Amino acid sequence: MKVIPDVRKLGKRKLIWAGIALVAAVFLGTLPFFYDVHSGQWGYVLFMVFIYATVSQAWNLIGGYTGQISLGQNAFFGLGAFTMALLWVYDVTKTGYWFDPVLIILGGVTPVILAILVGLPLLSRLRGDYFSFGTLGVGMILSVLFLNGGGFTGGGEGKLLIKYVPDDLVINLRTHYWAAFGVAVLTTLIVYFMTTSRLGLALKAIREDEVSAASHGVNVLKYKIIAFAVSAALTGVAGAIYTYYLLHPMPMNVFSQNWLFLPIMMTVLGGTGTIIGPWIGAFVLYLIAYYADTLPGFEGWYPVVLGVIIILVMLFLPSGIAGLGEKIPHRLTRGFVGRRSK
Amino acid sequence: MANLLLEVNELSVSYGDVRALTDVSIAVDDGAIVALVGSNGAGKSTLLKAIAGLLHPSSGQMFFMGESIDGLSTKHRVDRGIVLVPEGRRLFQTLTVRENLKLGAYLPRARASYDESLERVFALFPVLKERANGKAGLLSGGEQQMLAIGRAVMAHPKLVMVDEASLGLSPLLSAAIFELIVALNQQGTTVLLVEQNIHMALKICSTAYVMKTGSVVLSGTGQELLASEDVRKAYIGERGGRR
Amino acid sequence: MGSFAQVFINGILLGSMYGIAAAGLSLIFGTMRIIFIAQGTMIVFFAYVVYWCFQKAGIDPYLSLFIAVPLAFAVGLGMFYLVFRKAAALEDKNVSLLIAVGLMYLVENLMLKVWSANPRGLKLDIQGVVIAGWGLRISVVRLILLGIALVSALVVSLFLKRTRLGTAVRAASEDMEATTLQGINSVWVCAVSFAIGIALAGAAGVGMATVYSFDYKFGFTFALKALVALALGGIGNVFGALAGGLILGVIEQLASYYIGMNWIEAVSYGVFLLVLAFLPQGLFGKRGLIKKV
Repeated sequence: MKVIPDVRKLGKRKLIWAGIALVAAVFLGTLPFFYDVHSGQWGYVLFMVFIYATVSQAWNLIGGYTGQISLGQNAFFGLGAFTMALLWVYDVTKTGYWFDPVLIILGGVTPVILAILVGLPLLSRLRGDYFSFGTLGVGMILSVLFLNGGGFTGGGEGKLLIKYVPDDLVINLRTHYWAAFGVAVLTTLIVYFMTTSRLGLALKAIREDEVSAASHGVNVLKYKIIAFAVSAALTGVAGAIYTYYLLHPMPMNVFSQNWLFLPIMMTVLGGTGTIIGPWIGAFVLYLIAYYADTLPGFEGWYPVVLGVIIILVMLFLPSGIAGLGEKIPHRLTRGFVGRRSK
Repeated sequence: MANLLLEVNELSVSYGDVRALTDVSIAVDDGAIVALVGSNGAGKSTLLKAIAGLLHPSSGQMFFMGESIDGLSTKHRVDRGIVLVPEGRRLFQTLTVRENLKLGAYLPRARASYDESLERVFALFPVLKERANGKAGLLSGGEQQMLAIGRAVMAHPKLVMVDEASLGLSPLLSAAIFELIVALNQQGTTVLLVEQNIHMALKICSTAYVMKTGSVVLSGTGQELLASEDVRKAYIGERGGRR
Repeated sequence: MGSFAQVFINGILLGSMYGIAAAGLSLIFGTMRIIFIAQGTMIVFFAYVVYWCFQKAGIDPYLSLFIAVPLAFAVGLGMFYLVFRKAAALEDKNVSLLIAVGLMYLVENLMLKVWSANPRGLKLDIQGVVIAGWGLRISVVRLILLGIALVSALVVSLFLKRTRLGTAVRAASEDMEATTLQGINSVWVCAVSFAIGIALAGAAGVGMATVYSFDYKFGFTFALKALVALALGGIGNVFGALAGGLILGVIEQLASYYIGMNWIEAVSYGVFLLVLAFLPQGLFGKRGLIKKV
């Protein structure tokens, strides 16, 4: 795996994006030092943006780079959330920390198990839409299971984790801000290195033409599972971080369709198959969602707007915002290339 | 002097960045059988698809009966009388033989002569009449090829393009199919065929083009090419057998 | 309620809704090769249309079939040419799928905004009528629903088998390119298939308004059930899709009765995964949806 990309080969556009990313990362990372993240509204907004960016980037790996549209991300998010919550409540790890990185990491483990269990049958036989719907079904099943988990999972109420926080602890959003930021950056780095390695080449080959990839000796199933599992793990971790903030995971919340559709729409808007895409999408869409509700007379309309945006993007700008200015406009599409060679 | 039915000028076709055809020119006279031969990947099927309107060329022109057909959709080309029998037949397996034929005569002009065309097809391929109500998928290889050609005939075409008619067929069956193609031609239908079986193709055609990696490298009458040393060595083999 | 037979009958009756939805999905999938996830949401949309026709204009819901279905067909054509035509030409299934997702999100929330989140349902006198006999109680509205489903399936089936355009649709479902080669306008064929799929949603909407209490979110889970029904029934056969719906209905009612209402969803999706894993072409399907890599 190449660690440091050859700067000369990268091209001007990519360098510009990389520069912007670096500046933004430094800015966001140091923000809490000169802005009161805890009481200022931007603290919360950015926290949510980071969470969404993580889930979007995770989806980007399986959906954008590998071309397998997973519709079950909310399952992994909720699973991560509840894993962390239940491990905490039943004090399984006994580490004694309140904000426990072990729990967060474990929050990413159960989704991986689920991803492999579910991924093996779904990805080995199914292509395209049917895989998507298989994952959708999984999300729904999980939702139901947790709703009916009785005392163990807290049923519809979920678990009130606030009871388990040490009494004398003052919770500052800063901790969560940094945790979310860290996870988002880590996710981005993981996805970046995965996709710029040989693994990434295989994934893109699978996205372009599975049959051709298989006939060239690519173990299609293995790579799909890897992408799916990593995507699940990262989504689960995001769920755990989110729960640490919310302290009240409810099935209706952590398994909600918002964690399914919004990350997909964000990635699509920002640009599937690009590293910066999920970030752009997360910022733009979340800000629209957050502020649109405050505009007089406009509240409740933003989901409609989001749907329209997605359709427009798919029709006219399939490579998203990150694809603006690229030579080949249709990066998402393969299909009858000969037709377009006018 | 025979009329020029189809004229292709300097046609180039690309799949994305990959050039499939480079400046290909061919001419098909009215009433003739013209063969396109060459090894795999030479671009023969690509050329037929471009003529049929399935692919858009990056440069070049095509004229049919003196009129330009550039930019016309497949539907319009079929309407003008250009029909393709694709590689692998591409029959509608779950539909009956009769339904396959009916779909061949979908356009109004073809529908008008439906009965006449059907008679013609059943005369050429009697076995199709017997199996008219059976599913196309149950036919044997040779019968399927006949149905594929028959389906094209239903469109009341002036030019029938046949892509690899002998694919998957035994030598005996291939010979039978070729005889039928000749019979079709004798009824007045012009034929443009792409064929791996060079020997047979050259025997029945009046003109032939040899293609290699997207360009035309040789052309001449069937007899000329059959006799040519280069062609024999490259494609037919020293003993004149089928490759 | 008590006997197995009663549960079974209820299953068949309720399953007919899934059946119509599944038939629509099958048709759309056949030519466009996408699973139109917004099908359930469209059914809810037309249920609202039927509801408002009744509330505001006093139109009998069964008569509004004659409004809903043609309207749905027109809406379907409009949607196709506006939104799917370009995607269909690009031949990228992911793009079409995502458009369908966007559409679902859009319509769902539009309904929420315009018609609020209050559950709706028609209150009709006929809803109380029950046919009783042989120890069974059969609700008439549900029976009519089954009737609508059967008639719809019959009409579509006749269209496919007996008309030229219908034969072209069947051909296109098998091989789009070969269909184009016959001079058939493949865009038009896709448009018609899609529109008929939506028209079926319109018919289902009538059923939904008369039998269920629905809200804007109802469509999503409904679409999933339709998908399960489709998996059970298989692609390529209108009556097969309908049968898949009926079977799912029975499974659901049995699960509800013997295991508990809360577990219906889990059982449905469980069945879905099982079918996908072990019987990918469904019970009556002509072709498999599944291709091995």
